[in-house]
Amino acid sequence: MIEINRSRPAAPFVPLTCKIVGVGGAGCSIIDRLLIEGVEPSELIAVNTDLQALSSSVAAQKIQLGHSLTHGLGAGGDPEVGMAAAQDALPELRSAVEGSQIVFLAAGLGGGTGSGSGPFMAHAAREAGAVVIAVVTLPFGFEGRRRKEQAVAALDHLRQLCHAVICFENDRMAELVAPKTGIQQAFVAADETMSECIRGILAILARPGIMKVGIDDLLTVLRSDDPRCLFGHGESDGDNRAHEALAHALRNPLMERGKLLESTGNLLVHISGSNNLTLAEVEILMTELNRHIADETHLLLGTSIEPRLGSKLAVTLISSLGSPYPAIHQVETPRAVELVPEVTAAAEPAAETGEEADLPEDVPEPEPVLARRSRPAPIAPIARNVRSAPAPEPKPTPVPEKTKEVKQEVLQFEPVSRGRFEKSEPTIIEGHDLDVPTVLRKGFRV
Amino acid sequence: MARDDIVVGLEIGTSKICVVVAEDQDDGTIKILGVGQVPSRGIRKGEIVDFDTAQRCLHDALVDAEQKSDIEIDNVYVGITGSHIQSINSRGVVMVPQEKGEIDEDDLASVKASAIDVSIPAENAFLHQILQHYYIDDREGVLNPVGIFGTKLEADFHVIHGIRNRINNTLRCVKELPLAVNDYVLNGLASAQVVLDQEQKHLGALVLDIGGGTTDYILYCDGAVRQSGVLAVGGDHITNDISMLLKIPMARAERLKVEEGSVVLGRSIPGERVLLKDETGFAGREIEREKLNTIIHMRMKETFEILLQRLASDPKFEMIGAGIHITGGCSLLKGIDDLASDVFGMEATLTHAHTMAGITSAFQNPQYSTAIGLVKYAQAVRSESPSPGLLSKIFNPLLNIFRRN
Repeated sequence: MIEINRSRPAAPFVPLTCKIVGVGGAGCSIIDRLLIEGVEPSELIAVNTDLQALSSSVAAQKIQLGHSLTHGLGAGGDPEVGMAAAQDALPELRSAVEGSQIVFLAAGLGGGTGSGSGPFMAHAAREAGAVVIAVVTLPFGFEGRRRKEQAVAALDHLRQLCHAVICFENDRMAELVAPKTGIQQAFVAADETMSECIRGILAILARPGIMKVGIDDLLTVLRSDDPRCLFGHGESDGDNRAHEALAHALRNPLMERGKLLESTGNLLVHISGSNNLTLAEVEILMTELNRHIADETHLLLGTSIEPRLGSKLAVTLISSLGSPYPAIHQVETPRAVELVPEVTAAAEPAAETGEEADLPEDVPEPEPVLARRSRPAPIAPIARNVRSAPAPEPKPTPVPEKTKEVKQEVLQFEPVSRGRFEKSEPTIIEGHDLDVPTVLRKGFRV
Repeated sequence: MARDDIVVGLEIGTSKICVVVAEDQDDGTIKILGVGQVPSRGIRKGEIVDFDTAQRCLHDALVDAEQKSDIEIDNVYVGITGSHIQSINSRGVVMVPQEKGEIDEDDLASVKASAIDVSIPAENAFLHQILQHYYIDDREGVLNPVGIFGTKLEADFHVIHGIRNRINNTLRCVKELPLAVNDYVLNGLASAQVVLDQEQKHLGALVLDIGGGTTDYILYCDGAVRQSGVLAVGGDHITNDISMLLKIPMARAERLKVEEGSVVLGRSIPGERVLLKDETGFAGREIEREKLNTIIHMRMKETFEILLQRLASDPKFEMIGAGIHITGGCSLLKGIDDLASDVFGMEATLTHAHTMAGITSAFQNPQYSTAIGLVKYAQAVRSESPSPGLLSKIFNPLLNIFRRN
């Protein structure tokens, strides 16, 4: 008698468990965008310090950070506050992502919550055993240097904690919209691109494919020394849909019309269509794409059948700028392991200060945020250590050096006169004021 | 009494205001009748900063020109420059309906409309829209598409634009005199008309008109304008550099530049000194020649390098056959052509207006290239439009009399 083992699944395909966590204001708005675009709500988690922003979010699961610290206010653009707030809520964050295979972390870097709490979220997700992919934005250039520095520090931090970081620059995304459209649309366009990216990756990983792309392939592609990524997605249902979909994918400003593709080492191409997807179409698309990439580029091709697409064909391109890392995973390097306790150490005093700030609240003292602000001394140097995260032990020495550098740029000891052109419109080319004698500008002694 | 065949070019430059009065002769050539010139004041980098002073200078220059040419001037062609001038190349496409097949004038008009429909900032206005090439069904080198069968007509245009208010400032200064402005032309474009001949335009050439306050550049390829622009650095900057670094007055610095300056380094005897004579209010002193030349050299080298950087992105720049043509007052600096060939890596020559009749001293001076170029441009435009009929020849002067009163 032949026994049929029914408990064994018929197909080897196991649905993927995944969570998408939006941290901070920008992260939450991406979560909202994803929900609008039809992602399963149970997969979405909104994390924020600002209670008001959190309550207006549509995510199924919401986590408020630092309710004893900021009392429902935002982190005020200060990553240290975000850090301390996340430290408080670490167990809660961990249990939220427990049991998922992949965790996407969406955040806008540069502010308080995204930059400060993002790394903690990543850490929590790693501990829960998930593959962590961070999808983050860098602030607009006009938001100022301070925010940029905070964002870059947080990005460095995330790169060491996550399996992959996909980083979008807001400045480049602004090219998505016409210069005259409102600022609202510019941010919506940025959110859309990011949510498109997350959905694209999810779809690639989750769909049963003929030529399957797995997490390993994705990580290979995203592993490079430059976190900035290339992402393009295009769909078309015309007669020449393979060509049009690719053209559309390349038209994404993050691609700079395919010019940047030349410099990538690895490129993931995912083509999906319904049952009418033909081999010829895949061939046309790949021949065209090959014109844009260098010969030695490592191509990872995946195709899948998605009945939902109907007559459409969709193509997704993912890669990262810069040269690929040697194929050792970051997690295994001792550097990253060492970093984790350091984060905890860094945040602990901050948490302590938070508690200290809480104490006076029993004695009537209405503004705990201000109270904490009034004594920033113990936190500031720690925060600097975290920013220069790759250093394994805290070094207090680089701190004064850094302040000195900044000062030199602000103070101009030798005011240079422009002579005859003093009152006329300056001719400035590439940051040089051409009205000042060339000899002076080039530091030439005559 | 104003004559029909008189064309007047007016260049409001940073160092001088120059008026060229010329006669458009029946055989299509131009004869220069007189040149009026006064040193300008109230103008920086090619744009008016002190309106009243500039207008007074302009008036003097016109009176000078009227006296020298014995012609009453009532309308002019004005040269425009300034750092706000920008340019782009743009292509337009129209599909010719199958049943028509043959391309006609309407198609040319609509392809032009589609090509020049480029987005420029709201405060900007178009200065020129210059045709480069037509393509019919992707076929190049069609000079006149009218009457040719095709389905797709494309045209490349070079569009030059600048800030409307800043162009109008210059024009208002002229109009208030009062003088009629027939047309306004980018300085660089005007200079190129007299500096280059047809063959050089086809071979490809770069014209650098280095004036007092600005350097106007224009690149020709295959007989059409390929790139153009203005860099607000000119001879004034050299004078200012000398004045500041050697701590001498502007007027002395200007004279020192013109009389002793050179852009070539390492040619002077080590320790050689230039003597500045003492005069009222200025004690004489000696200046090391190499020091003076270094100041000039550094400035010009940097200027050329900025221009090279702007132009080198154009793939056609490498392939220009007729080299670089330097004109404008600053081209009188010694050794400037050698420096330009060094920086650009191609032949550079000093040049001035050609193909003119009349006062030789006027057209052979590179300082007048733009003003003469304006006249030439005007003549070229006039020869394209149909000549006025007999009736209008009689009535127009009469009408003009009424208009003026």
